[in-house]
This record gives sequence, structure tokens and C-alpha cells, in this order.
Amino acid sequence: MKFKGVKFLMAVLVLYAVVAALHHEKLITALEKSGMVLVKIGPILLIVIFLTAMINYFFDPKDAAVHLGDKSGLKGWLIALAAGIASHGPMYAWYPMIEDLKRHGLRDGLVATFFYARAVKVPLLPIMIDYFGLTFTAIITVYTLIAAVVQGILIDQIHNKSNK
Amino acid sequence: MKRKRSFAKSLKKAFIGLVAMLPTLLAVIGLVGLFQVFISKEMLASMFTGDPVRDTITGTIAGAIAVGQALISYILGGELLQQGVSMCAVTAFILAWVTLGVVQLPAEAEVLGVRFTIYRNILAFISTIVVSVATVWTLGALR
Repeated sequence: MKFKGVKFLMAVLVLYAVVAALHHEKLITALEKSGMVLVKIGPILLIVIFLTAMINYFFDPKDAAVHLGDKSGLKGWLIALAAGIASHGPMYAWYPMIEDLKRHGLRDGLVATFFYARAVKVPLLPIMIDYFGLTFTAIITVYTLIAAVVQGILIDQIHNKSNK
Repeated sequence: MKRKRSFAKSLKKAFIGLVAMLPTLLAVIGLVGLFQVFISKEMLASMFTGDPVRDTITGTIAGAIAVGQALISYILGGELLQQGVSMCAVTAFILAWVTLGVVQLPAEAEVLGVRFTIYRNILAFISTIVVSVATVWTLGALR
């Protein structure tokens, strides 16, 4: 098994060492905050493992390529939008699943669409309506989803150009 | 339909995939902790000047730097509105909070590639500003 991000982790540990030397009290708080984040995303990571396993089990790599690959068409966009809206937790919690799907043929444009569609948080919509109003919430939701698809199309075009 | 693979094997494969990515995830979580300590809500609020155009760009940058649950961005956005920050800037702030992330840039580059990460984030940055302006403009037109 090859670990990813070892150098990145080392760099963060160096940062923590610097903070420990300069602001010892802030180091404790930062560690506590990181610990809280870890506890919060724990269940999300379990969901990610489960979903990845389900995808691997129910879909052949060929299926994934059909639903999310170059010829997935409208269905691909709709899946990416729905997955983005339905996904919870921080973006980085979903990297393992996306990496796995990419190996199975998921195209870059749909990844970009998925990431941007995550701005639409269904459970938080009532709170957004309360703070900013129903009209604002409806407009920003529609524009965000349009922007998510436009970004996906542009990313695909950039990808196709660079591959020519 | 008969399946050749077992679910236990698929689960194990998914688990190994996550374990392989643990250094990346732990690094991002570590950075989130540091950002939460060193970048306060007051610091983010102080970035706004009152100029709507400048504040929209500032809102996008502040949202990209900030970390935490989306709910916090709504609360903070509501406070910023009360302080007189423009609707465009607040919209950009709450959108960028979820769609952009300075903290996770190294992890995104590691997993999805540097080229993809650069293009995606540039497009997300521009989209955030466009969506914010379009939302506020449409809202104004409907009133």
C-alpha cells in the first residue's frame, strides 16, 4: 500500500513544531480543534468507505465508465449534481471515493460539478431561508447548480484540449 | 444476477483506499485546527471595507480562507450584513466557504492532480463572483 500525502503531513507537523516553540498555548487549542474535526468527520469517513464499497460491488469499472465517463451525457451531469447536493461534511472527506471512481473512468468535469454543487446544502436550506429569505435562497441555489455544470463543461474542454 | 466479487472484498478495498489517504486527511485536519486558532471570525470581518466591488472579491477570498461548517458562514454572513457589508460580498463569502478551500489545496492537488486543482479553483473563484453578482442583481430585479 502506498500512502498519499506523507510530505504534506510532514510539512504540517513542522508547522505544529513551530507553533509549539512560539505559541505553546495555541498548540494545545489547535490540537483540540483538529481532534474535534476528526471526531466530526469520523462518521462521514465510514459512509465514504461504505459507499465506495457499494460502488465497487454493484458496478463494474465498465459500468462506472458508462455512467460517469466521457459518454455519460445528461445522466452524468445529473448524477454529479445529485451527489454534490447529497454529500455531507468537508470536501476532503470525499477524496478517497473520488480517487477510486476516477480509476474507474470518472471524468474531471463531473468532479468539478460535484464539488461546486456541494454549495447547495439541503439540511441547511431552512436556516439559509431564515437568514437571507426564500427568494434569495431559491435564486442562489439555481445559479449555483448552473455554475456547477458550466464549470464541469469548461474543465472537460480544458482536459480535452490538453489531451489533443 | 450473479456477482463474482464479494462485498467483504469490496469493503476491504475501500478501507485500504482510505487508509492510504490517511496522511493527506490528517494533514488537512491538522491545518484546519491551526487555521481555526490563528484566523478568527473578527479577523475575517475586518477584511471588509464597505466598497461593494472590492468587498465581493474580499468575500470570496475570506470564504476560501475560512474553515468550518457551512452553518457558521450563514451566521457570520448575517452579522456582516448587519454591519453594512454588501449583499454581493456576503453571498460570495458564504459560497466560497463551501466551494473553495485554501487549507485543502495541497490535498486536492495530491489526489486529483496539480493541473486540475489549479483550473478548478480558478473557475470556482470566478463562478463564485459571477453567481454572487447575478443572485443580487436578480433579487433586485424581482423586488
